[in-house]
Amino acid sequence: MLFSQARKSDVVSTDTATRVARVDGFVVATGPARVALLRLGKVTTEGSLLYWDDLQGFGPDAATIADASVIRAPDDELERRAESGELEILGKRVLTERGDELGAVTDVDFDVETGVVTTLLTRSEAIPGQRLIGHGRYAVVVSA
Amino acid sequence: MTTRQRLLRARELSGQPVVTLGGEFVGEIKDVVFERSGGSIAGFTLRNPRLFSRARKDSLPWEGVHGVGRDAVMIPDPDVMVPTKELAPRKQARKADVLRDRVLTDNGRDLGTVVDVVLQGGTDLEVVGYELEASEALGTAGRRVLIPLPDTVAVSGENLIVPAAATEFVSEDLAGFGAAVDEFRDRLREGREEDA
Repeated sequence: MLFSQARKSDVVSTDTATRVARVDGFVVATGPARVALLRLGKVTTEGSLLYWDDLQGFGPDAATIADASVIRAPDDELERRAESGELEILGKRVLTERGDELGAVTDVDFDVETGVVTTLLTRSEAIPGQRLIGHGRYAVVVSA
Repeated sequence: MTTRQRLLRARELSGQPVVTLGGEFVGEIKDVVFERSGGSIAGFTLRNPRLFSRARKDSLPWEGVHGVGRDAVMIPDPDVMVPTKELAPRKQARKADVLRDRVLTDNGRDLGTVVDVVLQGGTDLEVVGYELEASEALGTAGRRVLIPLPDTVAVSGENLIVPAAATEFVSEDLAGFGAAVDEFRDRLREGREEDA
């Protein structure tokens, strides 16, 4: 599924069958490239971060969790950066490790079963997720 | 023949962003610090990309560079930086500069003075040639030309010695220069094999 399709998905708690949040963004971890965290909006409880491992499922119509207690407030520097949107890769420039720019990330394709990032998309390229080396405030870096 | 990465002039790197493999911006290349020995590059001084920003006390050593491309100079992480005075001790720095050095062939012809250094970019960095302001000996006096370097260069104070055969592989632009470097080095290698 693409980030653009998964964004704005409802997060539904299966114990109460209610919508408890909405997916606002994705934090991608490297080695191997995968969705590590979801950034949530319109949360009915405390916190705005949801670890991929705390998901029950990510379906075409909603992301499900066992109960709302797995939604967390940021606890360390990395989680604070995640919450601020700083670790978002959409829109960031892509640089190869050789220092050549490949355009900006327009979308990301990921496996809804595992969270593994399969493809980074720019306007002109489809870059396999395995090529992701790292990403920060300035750029997403991929192997050459 | 090897496939070459893009070639570039060292001084074109001024202003390029320095970025870690973790995607963080570290600074901008200010100047190239040339090394006396071997006519190679010691590293780069850095600046912060703000107007009136103060000079930085850390520099990027050549060994710390992971890749050089069209859009950025890549480094593994910010720990590769060294204090600038370590890279180029201040007093020595003014002299330790290949620019304006005279290039002599090993049979004693003055080819001109060095105005820039040509690098092979990518992740396999190497100094592959010089840009010279040509002397009369090259028939293009006063013009800027590119001359390939062998794998090793003899350096002596103010002269750089290159094999006389280098004059056969002079280019006027970077487009054909990669092939010239390869052919020149192949020729030298064949020469060495014949001698052996």
